[in-house]
Amino acid sequence: MTAIELRRASRWYGNVVAVNDVSCTLGPGITGLLGPNGAGKSTVLHMMAGLLQPSAGEVLIDDVPAADDASIYRRLTLVPERESTYGFLTGREFVRMSARLQRLPDADDAATRVIRLVELEGAQDRKIGTYSKGMRQRIKVAAALVHEPDVVLLDEPFNGMDPRQRIHMMGVLREEAARGRVIVISSHILEELNDLADNVLVMIAGRLAASGHYRAIRRLMTDRPHTFMIRSSDDRRLAATLLSDASVIGVELSANGGASSGGIVVRTSERSTLTHHLPRAARDAGIRLLEIRPTDESLESVFSYLVDR
Amino acid sequence: MSVGVDRTLIWLSARQLLAKRRALLALGLSLIPMVVALAFRMLVSDASGSSGDFLIGLARDLVIGALLPLTAVLFGTTAFGGDIEDGTLLYLLLKPVARWRVVLWKYVVAVLCTAAVMVPAVLLPWLVVRGPDLPIQVPLSLLAGLGVGSALYCAGFLALGAWTRRALVVGLLYVVTIEMTLSRNLTGVKSISAREFSLAISQKLLGNSAALVDKPVTTATIWTMGTLMLVVGVGLTIWKVRAYEAAERL
Repeated sequence: MTAIELRRASRWYGNVVAVNDVSCTLGPGITGLLGPNGAGKSTVLHMMAGLLQPSAGEVLIDDVPAADDASIYRRLTLVPERESTYGFLTGREFVRMSARLQRLPDADDAATRVIRLVELEGAQDRKIGTYSKGMRQRIKVAAALVHEPDVVLLDEPFNGMDPRQRIHMMGVLREEAARGRVIVISSHILEELNDLADNVLVMIAGRLAASGHYRAIRRLMTDRPHTFMIRSSDDRRLAATLLSDASVIGVELSANGGASSGGIVVRTSERSTLTHHLPRAARDAGIRLLEIRPTDESLESVFSYLVDR
Repeated sequence: MSVGVDRTLIWLSARQLLAKRRALLALGLSLIPMVVALAFRMLVSDASGSSGDFLIGLARDLVIGALLPLTAVLFGTTAFGGDIEDGTLLYLLLKPVARWRVVLWKYVVAVLCTAAVMVPAVLLPWLVVRGPDLPIQVPLSLLAGLGVGSALYCAGFLALGAWTRRALVVGLLYVVTIEMTLSRNLTGVKSISAREFSLAISQKLLGNSAALVDKPVTTATIWTMGTLMLVVGVGLTIWKVRAYEAAERL
C-alpha cells in the first residue's frame, strides 16, 4: 500500500518560512489540501513530488525520500498549477510525449485511453495554445495519468473548469482513488472538496492548522462566531434589543456612537438565528435598519479562526 | 536508457526551437548571404575573377562574423530559457529521465539548428558565384569552421539561457561587444572567441592562401580553450538544471 509521509517537514526561502514543521501520513484515497493563497500548499505538493528538498525534516514516499531520484516518477505524478504547457503541440502530441518519456510500450494506446478519460477526443488534434483554461487543465491531467501512477498530486486542478467539467473531473479522480491510488488535491475553496476528499488538511501560514473528515472541517468553519456591522436609525436601542437574544455574544458601539451613529458591531454564535431574529426585533422596536454587513467572511478570517481555535 | 526517450527529447527540443516565428527568422537569416551574392553576381561580371575573394569576405564578415553568433543566440538562449521562465521544464523534470540527459539533447538540437542555418548561408552564395577557383572544398571548409563555432557558441548561450532571464539581451550584447568588436582587435580576446576559432579552422582547411584571417589562433588554443568553453557552458547548464527547484513565488 502506497503512503506519503511528512515528518516535521519545513521549507524556507531565505528568511521566509513557506512550510513550518508539518507532519502527516497520507494513504490511498483522496486527501484535500485546503488553505488560502500563500499558505504553503504548493510547496508541500512540490516537496511530496520531490521537486523541492525540505529545509528540515523528511518527506517520504513509501519510506524513501521523495527528492533526488527521478525513478520515483514512474509511480508519482504532479499536475502543476501553472497554466503554461507546450502551446505548439497538439493535445494528443503532449500526452503521447508523456507516455514515451515514461517508456510505455504502446504510447498511442495509452494516450487514447486518457484523452477519452478527460473527454478531450474532439480537441486532441488541436494545438494546446488554442485551448481554454479548463481544457488545458484536463490535458495536463491526462498527461499526468497516462502511466497510471500510484500517487497523483494535483495543484488547484479545478481552476478554470466550468461546473460540468468540474463534476466530470471529480468523477475521474474518484475512480482513480477507488483503484487504491493516493490522490492529493490542493484547493483554496472548501466546497471543491465536498463529496470528494475523505480527508482534509487545512494549511495556514505554512502550518497544518486542522485535519479531519470534510464534514468535520466544514462544521469547524461554520460553527464559529460571526461578526456583523449593523447601521440603523437608533443604534443604541438596537444594541439593547439584540442583547436580549441568546445567540448574541456581544454588542459594541462604534467609537463615535450616538443615537444613530456609525453603527454597532454584533458578535453571534449562531449566524442563522441572528439573521432571522434581527429584522423582526428591529420592526417590533420601530427601528429602521440601514445596513447589515458581515465583517469576517473572508477566507483568511475563516482560516485565522481555525488557527486561533 | 531507451532510444525512444532520447528520440522524444530530440523531437520536443526541435519542435520548440523551430516554433513558427523562430523558424521563419532563422530561414530569413540563412538567405541573407544568397541575396548579397545575387547582388554581387548582377553587379560584377564573371570575367573579373573576384568571386573567390567575394565568397571568402562574405563568409568572414557576414556568415562567421554576424550570422553565426546571432543564430546561436537565437537557438542557444531559448533552448532552456523559455522552459524555465514559463515553468514548462516541470513536464520534463517530472519524468523518469536524468536531468543531464534533458540538457544534453537540448544542447545537441540547438547546435544542429544553428549549423542547419549555416548550410544554406554558405552553399547558396557559393552556388551563385561559383567558378573554377571555387571548388566544393571551399564551402565545405567554411562549414567545418562554422560547425565548431556553432557547438561553442551554443554551449555558452545555453548556459546563459539557464542562468539569466535576460539571456537574449545579454547574448546579443556579448555578440556585439566581444565577438564583433573586441575579438577583431585585441589579441587576448581572440583566444576565447568562437568566431576566431571558426575562422582559424576554415583557414587551416583551405590553406593559407585564403585570406580569412591574418593571424589565426593556434590549433592548441582551439583545442584547449574550445574544450574549456564547451565543458563550462554545458556543465553550468547541467548544474543549474540539476539544482532547479520549482520554487513557489512568495
